[in-house]
Parts: sequence; C-alpha cells; structure tokens
Amino acid sequence: MSFSASGATAASKHRFAPWAFYGVLFGILGALSILAWGPIGVSGTYPRFIGEILGAVAPGYAESNAYIQKVGHLFSKGETFVVIGLLVGGFLGARLNREKAPACEMIHPSEKTPARRYRDAFIGGFLIVFGARIAGGCTSGHIISGITQLSVSGFIFAAGVFATGIFTAKTLKGRHLATGA
Amino acid sequence: MTPLYATLVGIAMGFFIQRVRASSPGMIVRNLRLENLSVIKFMALTMAVGMILVYGLSLVVPSLLHWDIKPTYVLGVLLGGLVFGVGFGVGGYCPGTSVVGIGEGRKDAMVAVAGGLVGALVFTVVYSVLIAPIVKVMDFGKITLADVTHQSPIVVALVVGALFLVVIKLLPTEVKQTT
Repeated sequence: MSFSASGATAASKHRFAPWAFYGVLFGILGALSILAWGPIGVSGTYPRFIGEILGAVAPGYAESNAYIQKVGHLFSKGETFVVIGLLVGGFLGARLNREKAPACEMIHPSEKTPARRYRDAFIGGFLIVFGARIAGGCTSGHIISGITQLSVSGFIFAAGVFATGIFTAKTLKGRHLATGA
Repeated sequence: MTPLYATLVGIAMGFFIQRVRASSPGMIVRNLRLENLSVIKFMALTMAVGMILVYGLSLVVPSLLHWDIKPTYVLGVLLGGLVFGVGFGVGGYCPGTSVVGIGEGRKDAMVAVAGGLVGALVFTVVYSVLIAPIVKVMDFGKITLADVTHQSPIVVALVVGALFLVVIKLLPTEVKQTT
C-alpha cells in the first residue's frame, strides 16, 4: 500500500487532500479540453437556453434580439454538452461515494427557514448569471479557462469576483452577529 | 466529435467539483469568508497545472490547440465580476456548481439555476439598451499576460504557475478562527 500503484482512489484518500488530488486532475482536464475542442465554459448556456425558448414562443422577437443572435444556438456549442455532463458528474460523484447532499443547505445565519434559503439561492443565481454575461464568462470560462490561458480578462474578473464575494459573505455573517440573534 | 468530448469533460468536471465539495454552497461561503481555503486552493492548483501544461503543449503541438482568449473590455469585465461576486456570496453557487448540485439532488441548486435563467432572460432583454453601450469601454481585445509583459508565453506560464504553487503551499487549508 505504501507506494503508488494501489490506484487513484487510495492515493486521494491517504496521501493527498481531495483539493490537491482533484486540482491536478482538473488542470490536466482543462488542458485536454483545449486540445480536444476548446476551453471549458458554462454561463453562455443560460442565454442560449433562453434563446431557444424565446425562439419557440416568440420567434419574431428572438430573431430581432441582438444578444440571442450573438450567443447562437444551444446545440451548436460544446459548452451545452459540458453542462449536461456536469449534471451527470454531480450525480455520479455523490452516488458512487454514497453521499447524500442536503436538499436545502443553510449557509448564512439569516437563513432560518427554507424559504429564506431559496430566496438567497434565487437572488444569487440571478446575479451570477447576469454578472457573468456582462463580463462574458463565469468561474469556468473567465477564471479557470481564462487564467489557464493567461488571459488578462480572467485576472480582472477574478479580482472583481473575490472583492465583492468575500465582502458579501463576511457581511452576511457579521450582520447576524452584530444584531446578536 | 465535439459533443462527445465536451460531454465527457463535463462529466469529469462535475465529478471533481462534487468531490472537493465545491457544489456545496456552505463550503463556498466558508471559502469566501476565508475560514476554509480548500476550494480556492483547488481552483488555483487547477490553473497552475493547466497553464504549465497548455503552454508546454504549445511548444510541441501548437497547431492542435483550440485557444479561446476572451476580450479584455476592462469596465464590463470588472463590473460583471463585481456583480457576480455579490451573487456568489449571497447564494453560494456558480453557474456550473449549481448544475452539479442539481445532479446531487440539491433543491436550492434548482432554485439557483432558475434564478440564473431569469437573470439570462432579463440580460437578453436589456442587452442592447443598457449593456452593449457600457461594456465595450476600454476594450483591449484578446490580450494575455505574455502580450502585456512582452515576454515569452511559456516563461510567463512557468512564472505565474510557480507563483500560484508557492501561494498554495503557504496558505493553510483550514484557517483557525479566533472569534
């Protein structure tokens, strides 16, 4: 057991922290992806999905909308298949390791009921996609793939994300402590 | 072949994200509060390994690489990052980790994706009027750190990658909370 060959799982459990083990694998995956078809990205899939729906219910509007035309069709992009894969990968990761994720995970002291948690998840979801679309990418496209390619935009985006991300997360914890609830 | 490759990449990526608990919004918020740095170190290590590999490959098989450098329009990229960060802190999800969370059976992840789709709809509607005029301010195009510093890309990749590795090594994973 002491050396190598007992396999990746044993290595991940006994010799490396999961973040280190999977960080190396994800780095290799990102490079392979650029070799196979292109850098990993996710957030463009959201407006492409909306574009398909609008194309079905209001084709005239969809054709005249500059952004829908700009992002293109849902299944013309590799990204869409990455997103489908994410769904499967998340399922497999939890299932193969017999983990049961909480249906509703409270993350801030103010989230005392599921309704408050769902409200925060909705607002958060809205802002991450809206912000990502202003910038032209998200954690995957701008930060992981962008910085991997040494793109200046990736560094600027990451600086913005962590500035308000850290501030927001700390404030939402601190406010609760200040009110003594 | 792109759909097949992209699906396989997505499955592996979703699996990795689930294994490092980056699909847990509680874990994301602990990272943003700087109480636990495991996800931040995971991301930094991914980028360090990726940049050294990909720029290494560019020396060997330059014609096989499908680069896609995003344009640096400073105002829009920064503004978008700032808006994204607020959402990241409030909800604890990214556009990708919420999809992984749905795969794991998280209902708040479904709500986050629903919020994201509404965000995309509103963005689509206001794009021409509100977004397009402001985001292209200070557009420097598709530039990399190698372009800006006028250095060889592989040298920049090695230096930045090494810097990331040093920072990863120096930073603790679990940060002691004194309060």
